Amino acid sequence: MSQEKPMSEAKLVLAVPSKGRLQENANAFFARAGLTVTQGRGARDYRGVLSGVENVEVAFLSASEIVKNLASGAVHFGVTGEDLVREAQAEGKVELLTPLGFGHANVVVATPQAWIDVRSMADLDDVAASFRARRGERMRVATKYVNTTRAFFRDKGVTDYHIVESLGATEGAPAAGQAELIVDITSTGATLAANGLKILDDGVILRSEANLVASLGAQWTPALLEVARKILSRIASEEEARTTREITTVLVQEPEDLAARLDFCGGKIRRRGVDGFIAFTVPKAQAPVLADWLVGQGAGEVVVRQHDYVFTSVNPLYERLVARLFRADDHFYDRLVARLAGAEAH
Amino acid sequence: MSGEDFLQKLEAAGYASHDPAILQPASVFLDLSGEDMRGRLLLASDGAGGDFCLRPEFTIPVCLAYLASAHSGAPASFCCYGPVFRQRRGQSPEFLQAGLENFGRADREAADAEILALALEAAGPRDWRVQIGDAAVLTALLEKMALPPVWLRRIRGGLAKGQKLDEILDPVLDRQADHSGVLAALDGADKRGARALVEDLLRIAGISALGGRTAGEIAERFLEQAELRSGAGLDADKRSVLEKFFAITDQPDKASADLRTLFSASGLDLANELDAFDQRLNFLAARGLDMDKIAFSASFARNLDYYTGFVFEAHDAASEDAAPAIGGGRYDRLLSTLGAKSEIPAVGAAIWIERLNAGAQG
Repeated sequence: MSQEKPMSEAKLVLAVPSKGRLQENANAFFARAGLTVTQGRGARDYRGVLSGVENVEVAFLSASEIVKNLASGAVHFGVTGEDLVREAQAEGKVELLTPLGFGHANVVVATPQAWIDVRSMADLDDVAASFRARRGERMRVATKYVNTTRAFFRDKGVTDYHIVESLGATEGAPAAGQAELIVDITSTGATLAANGLKILDDGVILRSEANLVASLGAQWTPALLEVARKILSRIASEEEARTTREITTVLVQEPEDLAARLDFCGGKIRRRGVDGFIAFTVPKAQAPVLADWLVGQGAGEVVVRQHDYVFTSVNPLYERLVARLFRADDHFYDRLVARLAGAEAH
Repeated sequence: MSGEDFLQKLEAAGYASHDPAILQPASVFLDLSGEDMRGRLLLASDGAGGDFCLRPEFTIPVCLAYLASAHSGAPASFCCYGPVFRQRRGQSPEFLQAGLENFGRADREAADAEILALALEAAGPRDWRVQIGDAAVLTALLEKMALPPVWLRRIRGGLAKGQKLDEILDPVLDRQADHSGVLAALDGADKRGARALVEDLLRIAGISALGGRTAGEIAERFLEQAELRSGAGLDADKRSVLEKFFAITDQPDKASADLRTLFSASGLDLANELDAFDQRLNFLAARGLDMDKIAFSASFARNLDYYTGFVFEAHDAASEDAAPAIGGGRYDRLLSTLGAKSEIPAVGAAIWIERLNAGAQG
């Protein structure tokens, strides 16, 4: 009945960074979830596969290319920094599914350390106005984060400045006389300090880290959504396993305030067995606290375990993707249901 | 309002129709515009190092054409109609604008009135709400009050951002981020002493690069901040004058009387500015404008960096658009910034055609 061909040949395209620490960290992230990124023969091959889930093609791209491709819908998933998503003004075209715990860096406003009278954006605004009044020229801000800078400065009411676009070694621009101050990314601030620059007290524009990002404009067929569900389910189950611990014990008599205690430490009962056997799930950091408390309540032995994966019927990452696709396109859900129904009919 | 109608009407009033090139050299717009406007330019490159932009407005191109002409410096007036180009979120970057520019007239007040009256006439009869202001009165007042530069910056910057007077006059001093101790110690210090202190501090810290500012500038700003903290430079009397001045919002004739009363009570001589103000009102009335449909507001100064005198905006009361359909004013400094050897008086107006149409439909 459906005119459309089944899209079984189509692959989900996952874009990952093509070099450096970001690539290593991204590979390690997928490996933890039991998904191995395999590059084609030789380091010069820019396509690869994801072993563990079928119908996935991996594209190795630079971080900024990844954002462009996510925004245009040329790739379905990508690993990239929130800073780049914001700079590309792609928030409406992608969904940040989950932060990945690496690639931490802040986008900051930094001025020369010699500007001892400048500590806040309000100071900067005042200095910018007097700079222009004295010289008839506007203060220059070197950055590759042009859009991010404009939005932040507008928000802070700083208007008397010009942006000088910088494509590399931005931190050297003030010393080279190309700009008075900079907006740049920094992880420890060491490079800024080495260049005689300091971060303004309220000059942290964005605390960024690498994210798993989904494209809203990509071709999301039911088959590809199913591939996405499998990938996200692996990731979510590994994350759940990594961040939680299972605690098992035998309680002859259940303490009255058990529910309150679990509430307090964010735990829940996973299952109850015979003869007072009980299993809990708790956040990793709370496991020793709860175990200790259980011993105090008369438990003879308390075992804390880590699992490899905890698959659940509810997959928060997948739900998030579908909810956002639904929100981005009013008819998406209807079409999806219709196509799923069509697929079943075959 | 069609383009032909507009140009015909204005030509009949002595305005030469002019159609600036769509493709303009980018540098003049990049140099003169704030970063916000720079971000909205539609830039293009010729592939050989030449940078261009699509005309974002008419005033600068018309000024450049006038300066390059044989009549530069002499009275001349121009009208334009056509597409201009700016990046706008969620809207087409191409939109229609009409413009009127009037150069070189020594009878400034008559030219001011002519521009506003012609802009309203050309845009057609509507239920116009006209707001006027006077950057020359405000600038002269701040000058005559001899306010220190730090207060001038606060007031000019605050007005440009649309801040309320309280916010401008009561600086929020961040107790955590300020240098209370140093500033208290510096209060009343002289410039040379402060400069020596800053130089010593920097030397102790081993900082040699000053990043485009001098130790003297940094020291001077410390002194200004100390002054701002102690409230010196803006005593209760001066503050009260500013508060009364900015509170004046009224029918123009009444506002003029209020301004005269305030200035004479405060011993400030702004007779020249107020005479010009009244004369402009006379010309506006002579042009048939109903004074009761015009509101003067002392705090309505638009951009003091650009406008030097009369400023105005007109809304169609029937339109739901919050932005004005007509805006303009006097910009006597722009032509010298663009290379004129002496100051050439200039006043102009821009009409947003799509806002007019929105009003007609609503």
